Amino acid sequence: MSDMDAETTIVGADVDEMPDDAVEKELGIGFWVCIGWLATIGLVALLAPWLPVTSDGAQGGPREAPSMSHWFGTDANGRSVFDLTILGARTSLAVGLFAIIFGMVVGGSLGIVAGYFKGKVDAVIGFIFFSLLSFPQLVLALLIVNAFDQVSLFTVAITLGILAVAPVGRLARAATLVFAEREFVLAAKVIGAKHFRIIIRELLPNVLIPMAALGLLGMGVAIVAEGGLAFLGLSVDGGESWGITINDGRQSRDLQENPWVAMFPIGVMFLTILSLNFAGDRVREYFDVRETAF
Amino acid sequence: MADPQLSVRDLTVRFPTTRGTVQAVNGVSFELEQGQMLGIVGESGSGKSVTAKTLMNLLPRTAEIEGSVMFDGQDVRQAAADGRDHFWGVEMTMVFQDPMTSLNPVKKCGEQIAETIRYHLGQSKSEALAMAEDLLGQVGIPEPGKRVSQYPHELSGGLRQRVVIAMALACQPKLLIADEPTTAVDVTVQRHILNLLDSLREERGMSMILITHDLGVARGRCDDVAVMYAGRIVERSATETLFGDSRHPYTDALLRSIPRIDQPSHTRLDPIPGRPPELINPPVQCAYAPRCRYAQPDCLKSIPEAQGVEGMHEFACHHPANTDQGREALAANVAAGRNASGMPVAGYAGTGGF
Amino acid sequence: MRQLILQRLALLILVMFAVTIATFASINLSDTPLKNFIAAGAELDTNGHCDAIRAGEMDDTQQLGQNVGDCEYIDRIKAENNLDDDIFTRYGSWLGDIASGDLGTSTTSRLEVSSILKDRLPITIRLVVMTQIIAIGVAVPWGLAAAYRANRGFDRVSTFASFGLLSIPNFALAVILLYIFGIRLQWFPTRYSNNGWYDELKSLFIPAITLGVGLSATYQRLLRTDLITTLQDDFVHMARAKGMPDRHIMYRHALRPSMFSLVTVFGVNTGALLGGTLVIETIFSIPGVGRELVEAVIRTDPPVVMAFVAVIAAGFVIINFLVDLLYGWLDPRVRSS
Repeated sequence: MSDMDAETTIVGADVDEMPDDAVEKELGIGFWVCIGWLATIGLVALLAPWLPVTSDGAQGGPREAPSMSHWFGTDANGRSVFDLTILGARTSLAVGLFAIIFGMVVGGSLGIVAGYFKGKVDAVIGFIFFSLLSFPQLVLALLIVNAFDQVSLFTVAITLGILAVAPVGRLARAATLVFAEREFVLAAKVIGAKHFRIIIRELLPNVLIPMAALGLLGMGVAIVAEGGLAFLGLSVDGGESWGITINDGRQSRDLQENPWVAMFPIGVMFLTILSLNFAGDRVREYFDVRETAF
Repeated sequence: MADPQLSVRDLTVRFPTTRGTVQAVNGVSFELEQGQMLGIVGESGSGKSVTAKTLMNLLPRTAEIEGSVMFDGQDVRQAAADGRDHFWGVEMTMVFQDPMTSLNPVKKCGEQIAETIRYHLGQSKSEALAMAEDLLGQVGIPEPGKRVSQYPHELSGGLRQRVVIAMALACQPKLLIADEPTTAVDVTVQRHILNLLDSLREERGMSMILITHDLGVARGRCDDVAVMYAGRIVERSATETLFGDSRHPYTDALLRSIPRIDQPSHTRLDPIPGRPPELINPPVQCAYAPRCRYAQPDCLKSIPEAQGVEGMHEFACHHPANTDQGREALAANVAAGRNASGMPVAGYAGTGGF
Repeated sequence: MRQLILQRLALLILVMFAVTIATFASINLSDTPLKNFIAAGAELDTNGHCDAIRAGEMDDTQQLGQNVGDCEYIDRIKAENNLDDDIFTRYGSWLGDIASGDLGTSTTSRLEVSSILKDRLPITIRLVVMTQIIAIGVAVPWGLAAAYRANRGFDRVSTFASFGLLSIPNFALAVILLYIFGIRLQWFPTRYSNNGWYDELKSLFIPAITLGVGLSATYQRLLRTDLITTLQDDFVHMARAKGMPDRHIMYRHALRPSMFSLVTVFGVNTGALLGGTLVIETIFSIPGVGRELVEAVIRTDPPVVMAFVAVIAAGFVIINFLVDLLYGWLDPRVRSS
């Protein structure tokens, strides 16, 4: 055959396998709508102590249908479901945020260290991640919650944080493995930079981007997991969270007579998780992060 | 003269992409008489495969197609739009380049042939399998009874391509399109496959389009040859005319780049310099001009129209090779040491040419 | 391949150790492990009064709030769980018992843990099987339809829908379905009942739908992606060139070679579901493994908790191991490497 083959270009391949649609490299309007919703919910949760909301009973009659005075209606104890939803947002978002920050700090550090030093360190840390992932999520949560004497906001957050360690850690490790071979890291090594400095100055900024995408998705997972614990009766004792309010509202009689107690928090929770998932997905696509560990 | 079996008129295929519209096929026309064999020759990206896929209704839905394709008095594009059954596979069919990938890895060979027979001819499963076995024998596969129940990965590349051919021929198609049928098989079996296709075509009075990047493959088998470049047919004639008296500089260059039996074995081959053009927003000029030894300033100003004898020997060039006009152009370029696009031009090192 | 299996097996054994250690430690790693073993309400013998009563140095009537019954109860729990031994000895004997099939005795119901497991496991397995049947039954036609006209109308809507489904927490979907089909329409019971197989099937239907719908979105996405890749393969073009109808091509040619990753994820989820039914079993009062585990935690029944967690985690790990092998067996590329 002639040199023609060597001269062959990819133009032909391009034409034959034309993608139906190319990926647009922008975050898009949907992303900003989601961020807007999250910001609103976050702000309301943050300002809740100064808002006229309360979890006291007898603000209205028991089981009042949604009305102008109680937008989401009231529950069996006469508590305003709207107020409960706002107060619940405080717990749910706080737990979710703390859990994912815990996961990113602990899992992220372990993952970067494993990916940077490789060898035995990597083997040990990898084994820890693998073992953590060997428990079904809620079973592990149950086990950890059970190990604490009392269930408080803090212990629930720690529990869900531990759940996030392995997935975040694996991602951080994978990203570190890629970046540790790049020229700028090798250059830093050649000029004799300290390990700690290389990790903080060169690796961390690059590993943070994929972690940010996972962080949004992971926060959603943590919020859902808190709801799951609430359904098992193992979330914050005597507190309010979306899961706790939904669990209260799903008891047969309540669900039959005042379904709004469960349905409104479900709606708010769904929109929040959807926003976190969508925003996370967009960030992932935008930065072209391949791996998802959740 | 009766209407030709296949008639393609002004076929244009465009693919919209995010980077712009790709002009994959641009005003292609050709005819094929029943029982004849047409070779379509060109590099990757010349539009030869896209042309074939248009005939077979295999293009992605985003493709914008213009022009007409008539087969045996039927409008092929209309058949595609209507989603007609029992047209492809029965009237015309196609064999692909790579037998490794054109067979379903998780289905037995016999089943893959039989399903076609069952669907189009309505045979029972056992009848269809018996016919499949018979077909495997016809395409020269030893022990067809055993092969029927084997999976593709249990066969060699050459045997697989025979299975593919048997599969294509299962329902006695009138036209077979073979897209580089020998590119992916061992050099030693290429000739066998080509000869098999040729003899099957003769036995069955079938027409055939042989798509290849290798002019040598077309020689001695094809009745006519169409040379494609950048989505256009740049030269079309009877095979012998093309080999003896080519007009387009691209054809000329292709001919010089293949080894020939009638020349001493140490003869140097002349590669074509440069690479095929981008097909997105091509400039209004002869697409081959940047690589052409004959290119003159007028080649960069307009796209040459087809000239020559219609239906006999057509070519699209301002300065055709093997004419006085072409010889002048080439002489000027060699003297200048470059063509109109700035490509260096020297005299041929080989025996032929200038 | 053989080496891969051995490596995997070694890892499996190591992980089983880690899992049992974590399980055991979560309950026993405490300065007073007894506290984690006795039912809420029973008092700890912090003053050593029980020892005094036993030794006859103290009359039980002298000590208010500490009666013989509690002392006997505490003694029994201590003896059954070897609580006087150090933690390493206890772990060793517990692991030995579990490995030999003795899962211990419930501290509250006095039943053998293995017999509780025997009662509960089949119900959870039936729920998991129903869930997977529904998930696959929905996902396969859905994935086929989405991939058939990828990025067109139906596919765009379905991408959106699957995104939505994946964003509904299981318990929220359960409450919604319970409200619509259990309470408003009353087509299905709102809680588990078991008067014959049909009755049980009917009562497991909404729970299975709840779990299955979310999974089907996951499966659909995987299948769609793989199908789109397969549909660009030459053999699909070949089948079209043979004139085979689209339906035939989708089902008979494209589907099977596109199922590899679906099979993997299906297997992994089967394992995860064994421990993922806790919430759904609680909501629908299904007496399965998950609900028993939750109740054991709440009523403080460590032998049940430890054994169930160990069994669930072991099942999860072993199924993952088997899926790894299955994947290697299904995909010739992995098999030959």
